[in-house]
Amino acid sequence: MEELRKKARELLTSGAVKVIIGYGPGSGKRVRAVFVRKPEQADLLICDDRCLQNLAVYLTKPEVKALGKAAVVARLPTLRAILQLAAENQLTDGQVVALGISPEGKMTELSQFKAIEEFLAGFSFELSAEEKATLEKLDQMTPEQRWQFWQEQFAKCVRCYGCRASCPLCYCEKCLAECNQPQWIPAASHQIGNLDWHIIRAMHLANRCVNCGDCSRACPVGIPLHLLNQKLAEEVFKQFGARSGMKAAQEYALCNWKLEDRENFIK
Amino acid sequence: MSEFEPKIVAFVCNWCTYAGADLTGTSRIKYASNVRMIRLPCTGRIDFMLLLKAFEQGADGIIVSGCHPNDCHYTAGNFHARRRWMMFRSLLDFLGIDTRRIHFAWVSAAEGAKWAEFVNSVTDQVRKLGPNEQYQKLSQAGVE
Amino acid sequence: MARIGVFICHCGENIAGTVDVFKVAEAAGKFPGVVHSVEYKYMCSDPGQTMIKDAIKEKKLTGVVVAACSPRMHEPTFRRACAEAGLNPFLCEMANIREHCSWVHEKGEATTQKAIELIRIMVEKVKRNKPLYSIKVPVTKTALVLGGGIAGIQAALDIANAGHQVILVERSPSIGGHMLQLSETFPTLDCSQCILTPRMVEVAQHPKITLYTYSELESLDGFIGNFKARIRRKARGVDEKLCTGCGVCIQKCPQKKIPSEFDAGMGKRTAIYVPCPQSVPNQPVIDREHCTYYIKGKCKICEKFCERKAIRLDQQDEIIEVNVGAVVAATGFDILHSKDFPEYGYGKYPDVIDGLQFERLASASGPTLGAIKRPSDGKEPETVVFIACAGSRDDAKGIPYCSKICCMYTAKHAMLYKHKVHNGKAYVFYMDIRAGGKNYEEFVRRAIEEDGAVYLRGRVSRIYEEDGKLIVKGVDTLLGAQPVEIKADMVVLATAIVANQDAESLAQKLRVSYDPYHFLSEAHPKLRPVETNTAGIFLAGACQAPKDIPEAVAQASGAAAKVAGLFSSSELSREPVIAVVNRLPPPVFSTCTGCFLCEKACPYQAIEREEIKDRKGNVIKVVAKVNPGLCQGCGTCVALCRVKAIDLQGFTNEQVYCELMAL
Ligand SMILES: Cc1cc2nc3c(=O)[nH]c(=O)nc-3n(C[C@H](O)[C@H](O)[C@H](O)COP(=O)(O)OP(=O)(O)OC[C@H]3O[C@@H](n4cnc5c(N)ncnc54)[C@H](O)[C@@H]3O)c2cc1C
Ligand code: SF4
Ligand code: SF4
Ligand code: SF4
Repeated sequence: MEELRKKARELLTSGAVKVIIGYGPGSGKRVRAVFVRKPEQADLLICDDRCLQNLAVYLTKPEVKALGKAAVVARLPTLRAILQLAAENQLTDGQVVALGISPEGKMTELSQFKAIEEFLAGFSFELSAEEKATLEKLDQMTPEQRWQFWQEQFAKCVRCYGCRASCPLCYCEKCLAECNQPQWIPAASHQIGNLDWHIIRAMHLANRCVNCGDCSRACPVGIPLHLLNQKLAEEVFKQFGARSGMKAAQEYALCNWKLEDRENFIK
Repeated sequence: MSEFEPKIVAFVCNWCTYAGADLTGTSRIKYASNVRMIRLPCTGRIDFMLLLKAFEQGADGIIVSGCHPNDCHYTAGNFHARRRWMMFRSLLDFLGIDTRRIHFAWVSAAEGAKWAEFVNSVTDQVRKLGPNEQYQKLSQAGVE
Repeated sequence: MARIGVFICHCGENIAGTVDVFKVAEAAGKFPGVVHSVEYKYMCSDPGQTMIKDAIKEKKLTGVVVAACSPRMHEPTFRRACAEAGLNPFLCEMANIREHCSWVHEKGEATTQKAIELIRIMVEKVKRNKPLYSIKVPVTKTALVLGGGIAGIQAALDIANAGHQVILVERSPSIGGHMLQLSETFPTLDCSQCILTPRMVEVAQHPKITLYTYSELESLDGFIGNFKARIRRKARGVDEKLCTGCGVCIQKCPQKKIPSEFDAGMGKRTAIYVPCPQSVPNQPVIDREHCTYYIKGKCKICEKFCERKAIRLDQQDEIIEVNVGAVVAATGFDILHSKDFPEYGYGKYPDVIDGLQFERLASASGPTLGAIKRPSDGKEPETVVFIACAGSRDDAKGIPYCSKICCMYTAKHAMLYKHKVHNGKAYVFYMDIRAGGKNYEEFVRRAIEEDGAVYLRGRVSRIYEEDGKLIVKGVDTLLGAQPVEIKADMVVLATAIVANQDAESLAQKLRVSYDPYHFLSEAHPKLRPVETNTAGIFLAGACQAPKDIPEAVAQASGAAAKVAGLFSSSELSREPVIAVVNRLPPPVFSTCTGCFLCEKACPYQAIEREEIKDRKGNVIKVVAKVNPGLCQGCGTCVALCRVKAIDLQGFTNEQVYCELMAL
C-alpha cells in the first residue's frame, strides 16, 4: 500500500498523470472509488482485499477523461478491461497508466498496453474450481429447473441498470435499452422485458466480459448475473479459443469466423 | 378441442432459403401452412433479438435458415451468423429456454424439397411440444 | 398518415384456385392504414399495372403492397410501375402468396388466412419504408484481365477493340497459356500455335493493351467501377526496353539441363529462358533458382554476351498500382500431377505420361519435333494405351466431376499417334465417351473407324513394368467384365482438370466465391455465367470450370461484352439497399460508439472511419461510416452492432420489427 501511495505521489508530482483512480475510504468499513488529483492526497489510497471494483469503468467517462491523463489502480480484471477497451478503440496506448496489482498485492507500473499484455500472460484465466462447479450445477439441472431458477432471479430485477453502470464494457452512449425506435426492450420491469434485458446484456458481453463480477456486486437484488457472462465466456473459449482482454489488438470472436466452426444443430 | 396448430416464424435469407422456398412453390410440393416467412438479405442480418421478439409475439417455433457454408451470396454472412447462433443457443439453453423450439437449417436455392420436409418436421416437432407456455406465462405475468 | 394500397393477384387460377382472393381483399382493406384494396386476374399484365398506377394517383397512395408471386420474380416489374406513377419504387413491397402460399398449401381457410397474414406483415413493413434513391458511382474505363491464356487474350482483345484500355497480367513469362502447348486441336486438327500466335502478337501490339507478363496480382481493393489493383512485376532480370530478344544469352547460359515447364518436362531449358520460340513477349527471364550466379555468386555470362546491356541481375520485384473499373479473371486450370496416381506408376515409370506431355511430343515445335518417341529410351512406341478419366469422376480422388475435355483430346491423341506411327496400336480405356459438341461425335468416330483406335470400356486397375513393357491391367465391361491385359510401350493418362493451386487465394483476393474444387463461381449457373457475386468481377475460361477452347473463347467474349456494357457510361447506379450509420444532431453526432467491431465483420471491407470535428477542427469522436460503393447490403454489421447505430436501408430494424409485430 505504501508502495502504491509513493508511486501515486510521484506520478502526480512529476505531472506524468493528472489523476489517480483508486480506492479510498467509504462509509463505514467500505471502500469506494476515489480520484486523487493532488500529491498530498495520495495517502487516501487504499489497496486491500475489499478493493474489488473494476475501476476501468471510469476510463471511458467523459467527466473523467476531461481530468487529463489518468493512472488507475488495476487488479487483473481491470487490466483485462483496459486491453479490451483498447481492442474496441475506446483507449489509445499511453492514454492510461495502469498500476497493476497482482493477486498477492504487489504493485507494478504498466504504462503501455504491451506491458499489460506481458503482465497478464503470467496468469491463468480459467474459471476457478468453485466457479466451474457453480456453472456445472446449473448445467446439470433440467431445462425446466434452470428456467425456474432464472425466472425467480429475473423476477426480482427492478431494471435499475446498476449492472450496466458498473460494467467497464457497457460504455455505449446510448444503450440499446434506451432505443425506442423500435423499442427492443420493453421499458417496464415486467418479466418479458427483464428476460430480454438479461439475454441482450449477456449477448453483448460475450467475448467482451472480463469477469470482474461487478455486475453481480452492483445488483441491489442479488441476481447472479456474472454466471451468464461466465457461461458465454467458457463457451467462446471452448468453441473459438478466444478470451477477452488479453491483447490490445484482440480479435472479437463474434466478428470473425472459421470454415471449420463446429456446431451440431444446423440441419 | 381441435388439435393445436403451432405458429412458426421463419427468418430466411433472400438468396438461398427464400429462393429455395420459391422452388418448393414452383415444384408444387405441399407443406404445413403454419409457417410465416420473414425475408432478410442474409443470415448475417438475422439479429438474435428478432428471435426473442418472435417468441414474444406468440411464435411456438422458430426457423432460421440461409445458404450453406461457402454458398453465402455475401461470401461470409452465414459464417458470422453461425457463430452468433452458437452463442445464442447456448445462452438460451443455460436460461432454460426450450431450444427445441428453435430450428436452424441450411437450405439452398435448389433445395425446394428440403425446405418442405424441414418445415413439416419442425411443425410436427413443435406441435408435439404444444403451445409455447414459457413465453405465454411470461406475457401474462407482464400485464399488471 | 400512411395511405397504403393493396393489390391482390389471382395469377389466373394459380392463386385464386387455392386462396379466396375476394376474402383476402376484403380483409386487407380493413388493415389500419390501408385505403385501397383490390384483386385482379393478372396484376403483372398491362391492365394490372395500370390499375396500380391509377390508384397511386387517384388515392394518393404512400405505399403499395402487391400480393402475388415471389418478389424474386416481379418485384422489379411492380417497382417500375410505381416509379412510373411517381411513387418512389422502394415504397412498393410484395407479399408472396403464390410460391409461399397458394402453391404449397391445400385449398382452404388456413391458406386464405395465411395469405391475409402475409399481406398484413408487408403492410406493416411498407408503412415504415422510406424513399430510397439509387446510388451513382463513377466508372474507371480500364479493365484488368488476369491470365493470358486464350480466354484472357480473347477478353483483352474484345475489350480493347471496343475502345477501352486493358491491362493484361500474366503470371508466366509469356502469354498463351495451355493452348500454346497444344499440338493440334480437336475437332479440326488445326495447329494450335498457328491459330494462337497471331492473337498473341495482336495483344502485344494493340495500342490499348498494356501487357505485364511475369507479373501477378498482389491485392485488389475498391469496388465496381473503382478498383485499385496492386500488381507485382517479378524481377525478370532483363530490361525489357533494351532487350531485342536476340537470344544470345540463352545460347551461352551454362545451365542447360533444367526441365522445361513449357515442354511439361519432356524437354530441357536454360536458366535464362523464354518458354518457347513463339513467346510473347520474346524477352527472356532469369530463373533465379537455377541460375549459377544466384547459386554460386558468380557467372554473369549472359551479362557479358548481351550486346544491348539488357541483363539486370540485381533487379528487384516492383509493385505497381493501377486503377481499373472491372476485372476479368481468366487464370485457367491445372492438371492432376503424378503423386496422385501411384497405381498407374505415374511419376515412377518414365513412359507413363500425361496428356500435356503427349501434346509436347506430338507438337512439331516440341522437343522431338513432333516425332512420337517415348521418354525412357527415345524409341518409337509400338503400342500405346490411353486412359481417359484418370482421376476424373472418381470420388476416391476427390474429383466427382467430369473434366469434360479428356474424351476429346484422348481421341485426338490416339489419332495423332496413328497418323505418325502408321502400324502402331492405340488402345483407349474409357468410362463413357462424352462428345457433345459440334462435330465432336464425328471426330471420335473417325478415331475409331478411320484410324483404328481400339476403345475398351472399363477402368484400368494397375500398371506395372515387366520385361521392358508396361503391363496395363483392366477390364472390358462390354465383354462381361472380362479382364484385359495389354503390354504397352507407353501409357498416356488423361489426368483430371483441376483448379490452379493458388485459385483459392486468388478468389480471396478478388472476394469472389469458389466451389469445393476451387473453381471460381459464377453468379448464377445459368443466367449469369460470366459474372461473379462480386460486382465488376467477371470470369472467362477454365478458371470457372473445365472447358475446351471454343467454350473458353465464347465465355471470354461474353465477359468482354459485360465489361464493355459496364464501361458504356461514365457512371453506374446501384441499388440503395445498403447499410448506413446514423448521424444525429450535436452533441451526440451518432450513437455509434466507435468500437469498430463491425469493421472486421463486413465481408466487403465497406466500413470506414470518420472523424467528427468541432468548428476548430478538433476531433470530437471517431465513428463508423459505410462506403456506399463497397457495401453490398448483407446486413451482417447491423445484427452485430450493439447500439443499432448502423441500419440497413430497405430492411431496417424498424421495418423488420414491425413485420414481426404484425404476426
Ligand atoms: C492435354 C490437353 C489437350 C487439350 N486439347 C484441346 C484441344 O485439342 N482442343 C480444345 O479446344 N481444347 C483443348 N484443351 C483445353 C484447352 O487447353 C483449354 O480449353 C484452354 O487452354 C483454356 O484456356 P484458358 O485461357 O481458360 O486457360 P489457360 O490456358 O490455363 O490459361 C491461363 C493463363 O493464366 C495464367 N495464370 C494462372 N494463374 C494466374 C494468376 N494468378 N495471375 C496471372 N496469370 C495467371 C497462366 O499462366 C495461363 O497463361 C486441351 C487441354 C489439355 C490439358
Ligand atoms: S448492454 Fe449492450 S448496448 Fe447496453 S451498454 Fe452494455 S454493451 Fe452497450
Ligand atoms: S456501428 Fe456499431 S458496431 Fe460499428 S463501430 Fe459503431 S457501435 Fe461499433
Ligand atoms: S451491410 Fe454488409 S456489406 Fe454493407 S457495410 Fe454492413 S456488413 Fe458490410
